[in-house]
Amino acid sequence: MKLKYTTRDIVILAVIAAIAGVVNTGTGNIWYAANSSLGPLGGALLQGAFMWAYVLAVWLVRKPGAALVIGIIETSVEILLGNASGIGTIGWGITQGLAIEIVMAFGQWKNYSIWSAIAAGAAASQFGTVWTAIFYGWDPSYAKDVWLAVPINLISGAILSGLLGYYLAKAVAKTGLVRSAK
Amino acid sequence: MADNGFQLQFKERHSTLNRIYPLVKLIWVVIVAVGLFIYKSPLPGAVAFLLILFLAAVPGKIPLRQIFGSAKLIFGLGLLLMIFHFFADPGEEIFRVGFLKITDTGLMQGPVFFFRLSVVVLASFVMIWTTDPRDLMTSLAKAGMPYRMAFTVFLAMRFLPLAQREVEAVKDAHAIRGKAQHSSLGHRFKLWQRYMFTVLINGLRKAEAAAVALDCRAFGTAPTRTYVKDVHFRVADLWLPLATVVISTLLILVERGVFS
Repeated sequence: MKLKYTTRDIVILAVIAAIAGVVNTGTGNIWYAANSSLGPLGGALLQGAFMWAYVLAVWLVRKPGAALVIGIIETSVEILLGNASGIGTIGWGITQGLAIEIVMAFGQWKNYSIWSAIAAGAAASQFGTVWTAIFYGWDPSYAKDVWLAVPINLISGAILSGLLGYYLAKAVAKTGLVRSAK
Repeated sequence: MADNGFQLQFKERHSTLNRIYPLVKLIWVVIVAVGLFIYKSPLPGAVAFLLILFLAAVPGKIPLRQIFGSAKLIFGLGLLLMIFHFFADPGEEIFRVGFLKITDTGLMQGPVFFFRLSVVVLASFVMIWTTDPRDLMTSLAKAGMPYRMAFTVFLAMRFLPLAQREVEAVKDAHAIRGKAQHSSLGHRFKLWQRYMFTVLINGLRKAEAAAVALDCRAFGTAPTRTYVKDVHFRVADLWLPLATVVISTLLILVERGVFS
């Protein structure tokens, strides 16, 4: 397992973070409206739509820490583009990135199967919700919706991030542009 | 940078806030945020909100038009969150709208969360309006953040206008081929997929070229790097976080009734 990031890895992460930052800032506005007005259940529907870039980056770079790094950089880009949570956005980058790192650690960063991607997407979505609960003040002890939202979060993350990220990585690999992707 | 309707980008105004060391401003935003997570009633949040508005307008020299131009985003979401808490929080019923009841706890907690969200976002915006991202990254690298990591954020920002130009080019290419102006949701999703994939592939192609160019210039060889535009820490800049700590502590003590 290679740990050192090459310049190529860094630039790939930067490009994906830039594109995902623009897309996620737009998606974020829809998510904020759903999450603020409908609560955890509204937010859960779209919660999974933000981590496709993390899965894509991990599948292309294939090094430990890639998800956490892209999480921090992508959310930094979002902050600079005017994300409605300001500096709080970094919280999602860290929690979601960490979740993917934990899933990948189970496979010692060597398992790049579709199931790994689905698990990574689902875990990232649920970990992100932990930060949402802190930031938005959803107290799981009385807000039943926080618990009801768990399965929706997992499915949303598995499909919108896990599967989408995985198929994007496969499509990029077919072009032969990125050497590490198989 | 994307035009998000209220010009959320740095502008040199030669103001007191402009001159403060970027890392100090970042620490200030974190202190503001921590305070807001500790407050239990709406009053400290309201005081913090007014203080930050004052900071932005006077030492920051940010035009009120610009501050209130961002209000839709900041306060709109804060208001939605406040209304949600009115109905969702448990407590004694004060008022009923159909099957929904407004509780006493909800009435207290709603404004707390309104100010929590609004003040954290406003403080972040003040930092962005008054801080050159390049200076912020330089100060982070000087504080010990690996400069390759700081450079990645620079690169991402550098790629933003390129990605936007790419989207325009793909749109034009689709228009030349007779893209339908009004189409079904499914067709729009397919178009979005094509945009995304093209932009991604072109971006990655540029990434490979940029990486080779950087390697040719021996990027990352030395453990430290030099900067064309340097930033310097001044002890005097600490007034901002120190004053915020004092005010936040006072607000917490007043809220907890220490002086009564």
